[in-house]
Parts: sequence; structure tokens; C-alpha cells
Amino acid sequence: MTEAVQNVTQSQIEVENLDLWYGEKQALKNISMQIPKNSVTALIGPSGCGKSTFIRCLNRMNDLIKNCRVEGKVSIEGKDIYGKEVDVVDLRKHVGMVFQKPNPFPMSIYDNIAYGPRIHGVSKKDLDGIVEGALHSAAIWNEVSDRLKSPALSLSGGQQQRLCIARTLAVKPEIILFDEPCSALDPISTSKIEELIMNLKKDYTIVIVTHNMQQAARISDYTGFFLMGELIEFGQTRQIFHSPLEKSTEDYITGRFG
Amino acid sequence: MVRERYLQQLDLLKESVLSLGEMSELIFRDSIEAVIDLNVELANKTLALEPKADKLEEGIEVSIFDLLALQQPMASDLRLVVSALKLAADLRRIVGLSINIAKIPGKIADGHVKPLVDTKRMADVTADMLANSLRAFETRDPELAKAAAARDEEVDKIFYAVWVELIEMMAKDTSIVSKATYLLFLIRYIERIADHCCNICESVVYLTTAERVKLN
Repeated sequence: MTEAVQNVTQSQIEVENLDLWYGEKQALKNISMQIPKNSVTALIGPSGCGKSTFIRCLNRMNDLIKNCRVEGKVSIEGKDIYGKEVDVVDLRKHVGMVFQKPNPFPMSIYDNIAYGPRIHGVSKKDLDGIVEGALHSAAIWNEVSDRLKSPALSLSGGQQQRLCIARTLAVKPEIILFDEPCSALDPISTSKIEELIMNLKKDYTIVIVTHNMQQAARISDYTGFFLMGELIEFGQTRQIFHSPLEKSTEDYITGRFG
Repeated sequence: MVRERYLQQLDLLKESVLSLGEMSELIFRDSIEAVIDLNVELANKTLALEPKADKLEEGIEVSIFDLLALQQPMASDLRLVVSALKLAADLRRIVGLSINIAKIPGKIADGHVKPLVDTKRMADVTADMLANSLRAFETRDPELAKAAAARDEEVDKIFYAVWVELIEMMAKDTSIVSKATYLLFLIRYIERIADHCCNICESVVYLTTAERVKLN
């Protein structure tokens, strides 16, 4: 790990010696990483390297997978998220997630955004403001403000993905995890999501898994390279893409393998 | 190995830069010989090479645009592409300055105002710097690059000594001002060529170590 990252005073997510097994197979090996607040961290690596598995440890999505066993420590704001007293639903409210394929609920645009706040007990009179705010923050308000009652599934793929981001923002998380959020989108929609992610880091800490190297280079402050379950290199994005320290990182980002 | 075509393009880029390098070495060497011997025929032959150098430089630029736009090189590949662009510009300037040198024999009809012994030595050191900076690029050797650039000091020393000598000669005998001025230009051109060699050496250090250094 580079000094620059170690010296960051306020790291929001701290991962220490994290191991993960799917049954007998070890998918993550002794991962340690410190993710600074209000930054974008990109995770890259070939398919099957463990980057998606890793990101899913940060809001315990792997709990849903049978035979999955986790050892080591993941702390958010100093609190161990694998501790016994942790309410996983509450954890996922603080650590939101956006997936590869847009997955709006089969309901109206408005209700998609209002769904989370409603189940967390937000009163009806506050909902309009929250929905509008979330759609603004996700840079989609102008496109949907006149048809909030239309089905969310009538939107284009790129709009659906921004709607899903708005849905995540509506419950006011501190951290947002993106698992290949642009891989099903066209270049224009991809640019919009990238712009959005760069703007969101003012208020959120963002971790993104991407197969698009240029995307990682464009939008992230820190980059981690995974290979066969190990974190090979983690550092400032400029340094990783300009002069990586490890040969396998260099080989991967220059397209020698992977 | 994936991206074979891409790797071939990178190799080709490196070779094109080295070809422009060889061309600049040839033009520099012949222009110096032409000016020392006041050999107008050799000078004209040298002048005729400039369009070829232009073509080489243009080819390098086109392949760099293609590589950047289509392949989006990263890490050491990106440093190679950026260095190649800078090298091409430095080499093209070396060609340009050598062409200026090759124009001098046509303007001095009957012998120099002084024997060009120091100037020849200055040109020899510069030619060594150019050869070694190119070899350092070819073999990715930052130490060779630093050693080559270090010789710029010798060039500068001779430059100032000859400069002072020529000024003093002109002060004593104004009838030589015109011919001596061409020699002032000559040593200035050589000194500038040595500076461009230093730039090349800096690019080689950057290419191989990712560090930005000032070598002159």
C-alpha cells in the first residue's frame, strides 16, 4: 500500500486481513485496505479475481450466499460491521449498492424512490421533497419531473440506472457501492453516470467495481488491483495507471493478460 | 499473449523514432563535415534530406494519434508513446538546426577566420551525446541517458570559450565580422543540438523510471 493512502487521516472503511470462502474455495485472501472518506475508489482485475466478492463484503451482501464464510475485520467509521449486534438492514441503509443491470421495482418512478424512505418511516409530507432531491442528485430530475407517475420500466436503460442511483440516495447512505454500473449502458449514459459519480463524492464515499480501465482512470482517486483473490496493489489512481509498482498490475492494465 | 497487433504497433513506433534518430545523426554529421571543409556539394546533399526527416516525423505523429485514440495505452506503454512524441519533436529540431548549419558553407566563400579545432571537438561530443541518448532510448537505459546528458557541460564550456575568442577577434579586426558571425551561429546551433540531446535523455529517464528529471 502506498504511503499516500496510509497517511490519509480519515479513512471511512477499514478492511483488515479479510478472508472469504465459498465452501472449500477461498475467494479472498488476506485483504487489507483503507478507503478514505469522500473519495472514489475503483477496483479492477480480471473476471473471477474477487473484486465483486470484496465489494459485497462491505455491506454484507455475501451473507445471502449459502456456504459463504468470512474471517477478518471490516470497519466502517470505526465500527466492526461483522459484529454480533449489527443490524444488517440498517447497515445496508448506510452502505447503498447499485448493480450492473438496472433493477427498478415494477412500480412508478415516484414510488421507486419513495419505497426506501417509506419503509424507514418517513412521513408522507416529507416524501415529495426527498424524491425530488434524490432525482436531482442523480441528474435525472429534468428528464422525469413531468412523469413521476409513469412506470419506471418505461425509462431507457441509462435512465433506469440513474433512477436506481436516486433510489439509493433517497435513504441517505454514507457509502455507495457500484458493481459495474455502466457495463449495460451506451456511451452517453455511461458518461452521465461517470459525471454523476464524480459529483457524488462530495457527499458520499464511493467504491466502484469496473472492467473499464479508462473509466477507473477517469473517475477514481484510488485504485485497487485484484488477482486470484488477492489485492496485488492499492494506491492513488494516477500512480497505478502511470507507473504501477507490481509487474502483474502493469501487465493487466496494459492488456498483456486478462 | 493478447493484443498482438497493439504490441506490434508499439514496436513499430519505437523503430520509427530510431529511424528519425539515425536520420538526424546523419544530417548532423554531414552538415558539420560540410561546414568545416566548406564543402558546398556535401552541404547541398544534406539539405536535400530535410523532406525525408519531415516524412518520418509525420509518420510518427500519425501512429501516435492512432495509438492514443484507438488503443488507449497505459502505464509504461503510455510513457513510451508520450516519450516518442517528445523525442520526435527534439529530433526534428536537431534536424532543423543541422540544416541551418548546412546552409553556412554556401555563404562563406574563401576559408574560415580561424581553424575550427574546438568547434570540431564540440561537434564530436554532441554527436556522442546524440548517439548515446538514442541508444539509451533503444535499450531503455536511464544510466546511459544520464551519462550522455552530463557531457552537455563540456559542450557549454567550449561554446563560451569559442564565443569569447570570436568576439575578441571581431573587436580587433572588423573586416572579419561577417564571416565570424556565421561561426557564432554555428557554435550556437551545436550548443542547442546538445540541449535537445539532454531533452531526449530526460524523456528516456521518464520512460524507464516514470521520474521527471532536469538534466541540463
